[in-house]
Amino acid sequence: MTTDMTKVLCAKSHEYFIKEGKSLKMGVTDFAVEQLGDVVFIELPEIDSSFKKGDIFGTIESVKAASELYIPVGGTVIEINEKVIEKPELINTDCFGEGWLIKVKDFNEAEVEEAMTYDEYKEFIEEEAH
Amino acid sequence: MVMGNEKDLKKTALYEEHKKIGAKMVPFAGWEMPVQYANIIEEHLTVRNKAGLFDVSHMGQVFISGKDALNFLQKLVPQDISKLIRGKAVYTQLTNVEGGIIDDLIIYKLDEDKFLLIINASRIYEDVKWLLSNRKDFDVSIDNQSDNLSMIALQGPLASDILENIGLTKENQPKRFFIKKAKLLNIDVLLAATGYTGEDGFEIIVKNEEVCKLWVELLSKGEKFGLKPIGLAARDTLRLEAGLFLYGQDMTENTTPVEASLVWTISKDKKEDYLGKDKILSQINQKDESKRLVGFKMLDKSIPRHDYRIYINNEDSGVVTSGGVAPFIGENIGLGYINTNKPTTIGTKIDIMIREKLHPAEIVKRPFYVKK
Repeated sequence: MTTDMTKVLCAKSHEYFIKEGKSLKMGVTDFAVEQLGDVVFIELPEIDSSFKKGDIFGTIESVKAASELYIPVGGTVIEINEKVIEKPELINTDCFGEGWLIKVKDFNEAEVEEAMTYDEYKEFIEEEAH
Repeated sequence: MVMGNEKDLKKTALYEEHKKIGAKMVPFAGWEMPVQYANIIEEHLTVRNKAGLFDVSHMGQVFISGKDALNFLQKLVPQDISKLIRGKAVYTQLTNVEGGIIDDLIIYKLDEDKFLLIINASRIYEDVKWLLSNRKDFDVSIDNQSDNLSMIALQGPLASDILENIGLTKENQPKRFFIKKAKLLNIDVLLAATGYTGEDGFEIIVKNEEVCKLWVELLSKGEKFGLKPIGLAARDTLRLEAGLFLYGQDMTENTTPVEASLVWTISKDKKEDYLGKDKILSQINQKDESKRLVGFKMLDKSIPRHDYRIYINNEDSGVVTSGGVAPFIGENIGLGYINTNKPTTIGTKIDIMIREKLHPAEIVKRPFYVKK
């Protein structure tokens, strides 16, 4: 499955979201996945839990380490990707598609506006590296 | 996620070679080291099934020589070094007067009055300081060659075949836990049949100026055997799966070899005094140590990590010192210390506190993995 990258919005903490009607689909960016290496464990929140922007909503573990996941836009969780809990390697193979993590509703449109586009995010990574 | 950067790191003589083949470099013990070349799990399995090549040049090499070399070392470690025959190596620890572990190391007997100590990168400064401060009354020379020597490790079931293929017959290869001088591709090396992976293999000590040629040639000649370069991340999963300890995590100056469950490395009948002997023997005889290292495996899918707390019957009873995935055996495993007022026997059910929740685990036999 190919993702329309113009629809992908990103946070500096390397999570992304894609607007799908009244909900946001969220995950971690390809850059984050590359940094992590093999993802071997993922912990996601319960459905109906609510988060403010920047709250920790889960944990992603690679062989090397456990990293916290920060929610790029606040909201209420309506769905989690059960498949990715069973097969965390989906995050490595298709982080924007099959490797999505959660879907969120009741978000604040202003927070969506604040996020970087994927192109801006790539520039941000370049700058960070130097 | 939070990711960091560090500067002012030392580089091994192989630094450019690592960059050339696309290694991801990370800081480790003050060095910029290759953490992975491709995929950590694949690298891990390559070493278990075929062979892998590691740059371990960050590790330290100190030569101890002189007429009191043996007596000097006898004072510093719980192993009885007088039993070492020429060319043989032994795993042991430098201990302080309280029995605390200053470093763990392998001592190689090169000659009657000459020994090589291979020590941890993070401890070179402390170890050399310790050796110097204890040399009084001994006629020894302490020669720290860590900056001049490189070390590469060739590990895995095909390691010996690869050496044979580059011209060193199996009869001329050192046996397990032996060391000898050798020529590899016309380069003078010290060849030791030791390692940190749980596999058979070799550690090759060579001058900095000659390591690149050896590394490149070994990788190229080893290719048909499936030889791959292996980074520090897989080195860590390999050593953990083999139940081997990492200094600074699984043991520190605040743990004795008895607490670290290293009694098997202590010569109980050693006559000579050594630093920490009273404490160590008392702990062996009285069994009065307050904590003990155990190995455990998780009973759910969660992953234990360094510094997580260990619970027994809902009571905080210890701490995880190393933990992670064990790709070959397919378990999530760890090492940790448990207070000895709690059971530490194999089969004991414990819990690991992970992100404020208890996850079930069980104390199991170490090593987790034993090669066939």
